[in-house]
Amino acid sequence: MPSNALLRWQNDRLVRLNAIDAQCDVVFALAPPNPELADEDLRGYTMILSAHWQGFCRDLHSECIQIVAAATPPAMQLMIQKQCLAGRQLDGANPSYDTIRKDFERFDFALTPVLDANPANALRITHLDHLNKWRNYAAHHSTRLPPAGGPFTLATVRVWRNSCDELAAELDRIMYNQLQAQCRGSRRNRSNLNA
Amino acid sequence: MPDASSQTVTPKLGDRVKLRHAAGMTGRIVELRGPLGPGGVEIYRVQLRRKPEPEYIEVRADQIEILPASN
Repeated sequence: MPSNALLRWQNDRLVRLNAIDAQCDVVFALAPPNPELADEDLRGYTMILSAHWQGFCRDLHSECIQIVAAATPPAMQLMIQKQCLAGRQLDGANPSYDTIRKDFERFDFALTPVLDANPANALRITHLDHLNKWRNYAAHHSTRLPPAGGPFTLATVRVWRNSCDELAAELDRIMYNQLQAQCRGSRRNRSNLNA
Repeated sequence: MPDASSQTVTPKLGDRVKLRHAAGMTGRIVELRGPLGPGGVEIYRVQLRRKPEPEYIEVRADQIEILPASN
């Protein structure tokens, strides 16, 4: 069952990104061409993609916290909710793979080996790394091009968006399975304690 | 008289709230996080005044009571 975070990604965030994509298409097809405006649009598209990706990851993380908290007695829920949120990097830092890994591994599992089980994820994580580097290039109006991930074109940003979409589904599936297993284990432990 | 758990007022951004099961801890709603709770329940991000830095918690509506606005 998809999380609400994934549903929002698919039904709201991707729709908004598609609208920006269509706008870029129009600007890139202008005759005569307007390369300055095209560059501004592409920088904007990259930053908005990164922002929505961060929003999805943060939403999914919050949803996981609530599932874990709901599996504990009411008197302990606030403690769980506060501890899971304390110092969460997704609240401020760029949504790099390292940020995501550190935050989701609070749920007591190693994310990288689980993602590595699907060989397609390696390229998606590389694209995520490129998105973050070019997002910084765009946001800071840097004149130094990142060493990898270019050329900075509409086609490239679309590849990053598709990788984010596929990673969103992967993260959603992984967290669903992870929390299902943990909640089952917690119920078993409770019944053992009560026996 | 309705008890606190039957509160039907929807929390809003900026509302002062008291956290249930938290020994009177209060805070302010700083973000409406959306339907991220179990079964699509709305979640609210609450800022707690702490020194030197504020702390944050994300809670369900049934975990908070809205406090009257203080002027």
